[in-house]
Amino acid sequence: MTQVQTRSAAVAPAAAGPTQRRPFFGRAREAATGWLFVLPFAVLLVAFLLLPMAYAFKISLYRSTLIEGEVFAWFDNYQQAIDDPLVREGVLRVLIFGLIQTPVMIGLALLAALLIDAATSRFSRVFRLAAFVPYAVPVVIGTLMWGFLYSKSIGPLAWTGIDFVGSDTVLASLGNIVTWQWAGYNMIVLYAALQGVPKEIYESAKIDGAGQVQIALRIKTPMISSALVLATLFTIMGTLQFFTEPLILQPLNPGAITQHYTPNVYAYNQAFSFQQYNYSAAISFLLGAVVFVGSYIFLFATRKRSALR
Amino acid sequence: MTAIAAFTAVTLVACGSDAAETPEKPTGPVTIKVWAWYPEFQGVVDLFNKTHSDIKIEWTNAGTGQDQYTKLQTALKAGKGAPDVAMLELQEIPTFQLTKHLVDLGKYGANDVKGDYVDWAWKQVSTGDQVYAIPVDAGPMAMMYRDDIFSKYGLTVPKTWDEYKAQAEKLKTASAGKSFITDFGANDGGFMTGLMWQAGAQPYSYDIANPTNIGVNVNSAEAKKVIEYWEGMVNGGLADSTAFHTTDFYNGLNTEKYATYLAAGWGPGYIQANAAKSSGKWKVAPLPQWTAGENKQGDWGGSSFAVTDQAKYPDIAAKVAMEIFGAKNTEAWKIGIDKAFLFPTATPVLESADFKNKEYEFFGGQKVNEVFVPAYNAIGPFSWSPFNSYNFNQLTTNLNQAIEKKTSWTAALDTAQENVKTYATQQGFQVQ
Repeated sequence: MTQVQTRSAAVAPAAAGPTQRRPFFGRAREAATGWLFVLPFAVLLVAFLLLPMAYAFKISLYRSTLIEGEVFAWFDNYQQAIDDPLVREGVLRVLIFGLIQTPVMIGLALLAALLIDAATSRFSRVFRLAAFVPYAVPVVIGTLMWGFLYSKSIGPLAWTGIDFVGSDTVLASLGNIVTWQWAGYNMIVLYAALQGVPKEIYESAKIDGAGQVQIALRIKTPMISSALVLATLFTIMGTLQFFTEPLILQPLNPGAITQHYTPNVYAYNQAFSFQQYNYSAAISFLLGAVVFVGSYIFLFATRKRSALR
Repeated sequence: MTAIAAFTAVTLVACGSDAAETPEKPTGPVTIKVWAWYPEFQGVVDLFNKTHSDIKIEWTNAGTGQDQYTKLQTALKAGKGAPDVAMLELQEIPTFQLTKHLVDLGKYGANDVKGDYVDWAWKQVSTGDQVYAIPVDAGPMAMMYRDDIFSKYGLTVPKTWDEYKAQAEKLKTASAGKSFITDFGANDGGFMTGLMWQAGAQPYSYDIANPTNIGVNVNSAEAKKVIEYWEGMVNGGLADSTAFHTTDFYNGLNTEKYATYLAAGWGPGYIQANAAKSSGKWKVAPLPQWTAGENKQGDWGGSSFAVTDQAKYPDIAAKVAMEIFGAKNTEAWKIGIDKAFLFPTATPVLESADFKNKEYEFFGGQKVNEVFVPAYNAIGPFSWSPFNSYNFNQLTTNLNQAIEKKTSWTAALDTAQENVKTYATQQGFQVQ
């Protein structure tokens, strides 16, 4: 944002000024070049995000039934979604999930990034790759794999007698999968940010008598706070849209992982299992609004740290 | 025989008044897209393509059960992308029929093959002269039991559900709780419905001919009888409640955890594939009865071929639906029976000596169709709702939660009844 503002501020007076030297034609060509660069993104944005969103919004205003067909229903579907206890249950669940899982995973990612940054041996390179590998495994495969590990009869943890997919434990088990999958990814983001911190700062801190731990906590962590905010933001957005893992694990214990386990799973089932496309679109749109507002609140709360003012 | 069927199809089309529905035939062979998930289906497709020069089947496995229905519903809703011929389980036909996406095969000669199927199976796919699919396989139920476990603990083969429970108790004590008489998979709506069907439950009264009216009776006395029985079995530690078709479930069949498996005709195929170690140790006995000496049966699963409204040449697609696993297509059925453990719905195949006397290695050489065929013939009529996904979802969700939270199973059935009624009303049905 800051960048954009400075640039427009620099351009505006030049355009308005009487000593304008560049001909209009040149500026137009410059603008056209700019548009040309943006064009591929713009086309994709319109084709795969804005148009589908507009379509989803349109169908969310209709209501179709198996017998009576489609009628315009204004915001009835939204009203129904807000009143639907199953939607609320799902939203509450992902909020609880996010409150616990996000700090745990970001904390782990930060710890790993700091450790790798501090270590200089060849081992750190191997470790960096190893921590990143789960991210390279497709979510579906990773979840199926954990499904086997959680098995009561053939899983390696079967001897503990713990039912990892019982109604009390399954949320934690899902959190474990998500952490496994994404901690490495976030670690790479944070590690990359650490690489950008000037090394001289560490040297001066050392001269001032700071140890490795103090450097990590008092210098490195604050210096990469904008990367931390970014990683957390992505995690929050991902959490609210929690979908693949519960959907894949569902067959293991449908009593614990219900078909309305998360709002996204619920919307999916409404559309594709029960042919309630309109209601599903309304739930999805509401969820999108919650994600937007949630991300905004988070950005606002951390605006001093995020450099995204 | 293909020539005759083709001839019939062509003449019927020629006589019919629906000229608009049959565009001119192209000169080359017509490609018909088929979605199906039958095991060992490639061989059947190859066979069809080899014996037909004018039709070429292009087969896709678009997923099993609900996975495929999801894709199919989406493609039908979108107006393109659906196959010409799709595999549909019998309970799904009203759903797809209500949205008018199935072609009436009666117009293309399907009624000529009606005589090849028993009454209850044909009624599942038709109303009057309108035929919405050609049945392929069915799921008559029987009790598969582990002969080795039965003799190890001195169990006798139960004939009634009371005896079954008595054997379960005996097994629990004798094995010190290591073995269960069976696993009750509350995640499979078809399985539970099959057991309720046997007890005489009729959760829905629905006729495609009168599509706006539906009777909902999910929590009937018969259904409750079945559910109460299994509530007692599971809560008493006599039956396990691991979800069906999971790793833990197959592992239980492979080891000595489960002494019986209340299976459908197609069940052994899946066990052979997923619990191979138990092969040869199984035997089959009829499903226990509620009243001694009776022969009441229910069906679990089974599927059919339907032609979608996106078929460009519905007459040729209908021909594929009728012939690919047709009653007279003995070569295809050889693959279906020997390799895929399908249970045929066509009586000529069922009654053939080959099928009746087939000795199955998986069952230690037992002629299991001596059990499955009489079970198939004794299945009573049954009607499904046009929103079966929701129906099964309510059954499984509520019962699974009752198991998980140790609450009343019959109360869960009452909840399912209420939810289904609400859903049906919202969808515009007149609910009785």
